[in-house]
Amino acid sequence: MAKITFAIGGIHPSDSKISKNCAIEVLPLPQTVYISMAQHLGAPAKPVVAVGDKVKVGQVIAEPGGFISAFVHSSVSGTVKSIAPRKDLAGNCVVPHIEIAVEGDEWMEGIDTTDTLVTAIPEDKAEILAKIKANGVVGLGGATFPAHVKLAPAKPADYLILNGAECEPYLTSDYRIMLERTKEIVIGAAIMQKALGGCKCVIGIEENKPEAIKAMSAAVAELGYKDMEVLSLMKKYPQGGEKQLINAVTGREVPSGKLPADAGCVVQNVATSLAVYEAVQKNKPLITNTLTITGDCLPVEKQHNYLFRIGVPLSFIAEYAGGVPEAAAKIISGGPMMGKAIANLDATTVKGSSSLLYLGEEATKRQTASACIRCGKCAEACPMGLEPFLLKRLATAGDTDGLEANAVQDCIECGCCLYSCPANIPLLDIIRPAKAQVMGIMRARAAAAKAAAEAAKAAAEAKNNENK
Amino acid sequence: MGKLLVSPSPHIHTKVSTATLMRDVVIALLPATIVSIVFYGLGELLVVGVSVASCVLLEYLITKYLLKASNTVCDWSAAVTGLLLALNLPSTTPWWVVFIGAVVAIGVAKLTFGGLGQNVFNPAIAGRVFLLVSFPTYMTHWEAPKGLFGADAVTGATPLGAIKEGLLQGATVPDIMSANGYSYGQMLFANLGGSAGEISAIALLAGFVYLLVRRVIKPHITLSIWGTVALVSLIFWLASPARFTDPAFNLLTGGMILGSCFMATDYVTSPMSIKGGIVFGIGIGFITMMIRYFGSYPEGMSFAILIMNAVVPLLNMWFHQKKYGRK
Repeated sequence: MAKITFAIGGIHPSDSKISKNCAIEVLPLPQTVYISMAQHLGAPAKPVVAVGDKVKVGQVIAEPGGFISAFVHSSVSGTVKSIAPRKDLAGNCVVPHIEIAVEGDEWMEGIDTTDTLVTAIPEDKAEILAKIKANGVVGLGGATFPAHVKLAPAKPADYLILNGAECEPYLTSDYRIMLERTKEIVIGAAIMQKALGGCKCVIGIEENKPEAIKAMSAAVAELGYKDMEVLSLMKKYPQGGEKQLINAVTGREVPSGKLPADAGCVVQNVATSLAVYEAVQKNKPLITNTLTITGDCLPVEKQHNYLFRIGVPLSFIAEYAGGVPEAAAKIISGGPMMGKAIANLDATTVKGSSSLLYLGEEATKRQTASACIRCGKCAEACPMGLEPFLLKRLATAGDTDGLEANAVQDCIECGCCLYSCPANIPLLDIIRPAKAQVMGIMRARAAAAKAAAEAAKAAAEAKNNENK
Repeated sequence: MGKLLVSPSPHIHTKVSTATLMRDVVIALLPATIVSIVFYGLGELLVVGVSVASCVLLEYLITKYLLKASNTVCDWSAAVTGLLLALNLPSTTPWWVVFIGAVVAIGVAKLTFGGLGQNVFNPAIAGRVFLLVSFPTYMTHWEAPKGLFGADAVTGATPLGAIKEGLLQGATVPDIMSANGYSYGQMLFANLGGSAGEISAIALLAGFVYLLVRRVIKPHITLSIWGTVALVSLIFWLASPARFTDPAFNLLTGGMILGSCFMATDYVTSPMSIKGGIVFGIGIGFITMMIRYFGSYPEGMSFAILIMNAVVPLLNMWFHQKKYGRK
């Protein structure tokens, strides 16, 4: 049987899952946490506590700042020390953070902190969505889109796709939770399935994680959920990309410029499913997540998978794990393909933090670019079917019309083009700002068209009134 | 903690580089080179040596002193051009003619257009065609293989040349074939007059398979040329076996294997998309057969590739791959 995967493009980097056998350890509490107000896609949250307030674990400290936004909860108990901008991963001092000095570990009442598995799923869709929203659950696969918004699509979904692909090299946090929190993830999936009104659920896992496929299949069988299956996928990056996973599982494509919901699909990460389980069944807000400490220059005994409290500074995790290795040339938050390189460890963990990756110079240093030999390997690798060599040329020439005609706005910034270029041309570095520029132009045009239509309507109405 | 690197994603890169790709092409050409030296002897060794050395040296000197640009010898592309040019010449070519071919290939066809990646025409073929029209005496006098230590060289025409000549004198194709004692086994393994590199189809195909296995090239252009040549010659041959050569003969002679596997698949001068590549291959196959059947030159592969090279920018504009989420 042909292996299941997405149809267009993709690359096969070494998966380097060095930390896959490191069981999840609980990271101890630091002295201080810094909780960001912008841990999700959309409007930043608005703080509802003041300096000097005492907070408990799981207490709401910020509320949504808009429709697409999320609640933020305290991950520790203690005293609010400050609410001030602090450096984010990029080193920019822009986002307000709530600084909390840790005192003890006192949880809010009503949160079930036991390990008891709760299998009975609430019947009411609205109740499920309300709990997911109240507990600040966001997508943990990378984009941190608020889960309650995604789970209430405009048109009914045919598929709930659970993303267990973990196609980024090195990362193992999803793998570990699939092995250690298997049933919780499966129940979380069933809860989301219910919230979506009973669609089919497919759990996609790449073939390089056979133990996870086995464990998840066994849990689905044991819990006896209907319309839920585990699907083994070929190992290919970016399989965990939303659009690619939809294509791999259903054969459908999300139309350009549209949402997965338009293709009848909702994709959620396995870590999100665990967060949904905890939110709905245990009333526990999203205050913890799993993070991998790994890298090619870190000995395997120093690699870990940690259950951490959101807001713990990266420097605390790095020190607890034994410090930054001498050979580290680059520290990355996230995977090597789409993660962010960080200049220092001042930043703090957020809901979507999945790894702290140390790469040595040889693995990560950019080589000098040479002439394009028109081999077409970038176009072959692009999972969106774009032609990066052409987009780069158009971007260098400043041809925004040409860029739009050649679909630069469809780029998902997965990095396949830059990875595969034998001439080391920094294709994505050049295409990324061009895409932002074109999308800005498209938005401005749409806004202008809307304004013009409204003005025309108003004028027509005024004329109508005159005629009367 | 020392200074850290910071860059946009991605943070890892493939190990495949321009140099490794070009080196793979050189490796793929080695079987054919070795076989040609074994069969043609020291003359062929001289042709290969002069061609590769002058291409590499010219690339180095021109980029350094004339263009004052960065040195591009390390990317192996000049070596590939040199080797391909050598395999496209008769083993009897004088060294100075080989050198002129290298000047045209590297100096004119490649670097005048802006160097690697910018050239419109395949440099090795441009060099060969320049020599073919400028020095027809050297370029059409082929030496029959005599072996590395053989003594008496026998010169003669290539199979396609012999057929063209015979047809002009009123003979039929089967007559000419049997008069010259051509057999397909000979064409496949070795021992037939022609460009040195064409001596053994098997050696060339082994290199082609190596390139496919190493994923240096994809087979669509080559297969599309073969398919077109087979189809066009089949139609003509069935219509008149006395006047037209058969498909197997056309696939095995006249630089067909060398051209379709190594020259038409050159990254720079072939289309970027699969669809474009297939059209490119059909064009090469069709033009080659038209030249062979109706043109004044007996072969035609080189001209066909050069003509289709010129169409590549158009093919790149017309044919694109399927985009995700778009019709």
